[in-house]
Amino acid sequence: MEYAIADTCFLIDWALWKRRDVIFDLFKVVFTPELVLREVRSERTLEWITDMLTRGSLALFTETPDILDIARSLVERSRMIPGLRGVDLPEAVCLATGKLRGYLVLTENRGALMAVDLLEELRGVKVWRALEVIAEALRRDIIKTSNPRVIFKEYEDETHHRFPRRDLEAILNELGR
Amino acid sequence: MSLEDKLKKWRKLEAEAREIRRREADWEFIKKQPARIRAALKYYIEVGDIRGAARMALMELEDFRELLRKANVPTVV
Repeated sequence: MEYAIADTCFLIDWALWKRRDVIFDLFKVVFTPELVLREVRSERTLEWITDMLTRGSLALFTETPDILDIARSLVERSRMIPGLRGVDLPEAVCLATGKLRGYLVLTENRGALMAVDLLEELRGVKVWRALEVIAEALRRDIIKTSNPRVIFKEYEDETHHRFPRRDLEAILNELGR
Repeated sequence: MSLEDKLKKWRKLEAEAREIRRREADWEFIKKQPARIRAALKYYIEVGDIRGAARMALMELEDFRELLRKANVPTVV
């Protein structure tokens, strides 16, 4: 996989994890929209982002008019289907980039996950949460462990994020451990 | 899967996430917060809409995420 684009919800949790740099073993470059960067405030997260920008592992993504057009349309469309959580512009920019440029979208935003599942125009856009990123790092032995459950628990404890049990168990079964 | 079935699936996931947020929240901490913050935390616990809750609290997203940690409210995604 070459490129990913990360939204705020993903970055601000991921940056807290001690193994956060494994993400750069999975992707050539992780982009983050300028809109997203404006929402990052903590010293800890900003320092990590700055380091990664310096290394070239992270790159800023400038939203072009075509991306913004699609993003704005997604924001509107996401509010037209009853029951579908609305998507806000920063997430919509990531989804639009996933659609137009084929980048894998990194998000923890439920609205974005729902939109990919429910909106026809986002069919084919690939979205990963921290759950899928960690699973892939384990599959590829980038994170080596005899007990993957411990790694997911470590992420949950360090970020105060909870993986849905069913999804976590499915991944642990697939990893064979 | 039809749109209706997908929506049903997501509603179920939302309900499960809400239950986790409600159960793990530090309600004593939440009760002590100023009205606006308290309302935003309760909104987040019920709906899981972090941006909406952050706006309600007049906070930036990352600051609100930190508040959730202090209130022991997990994000469940």
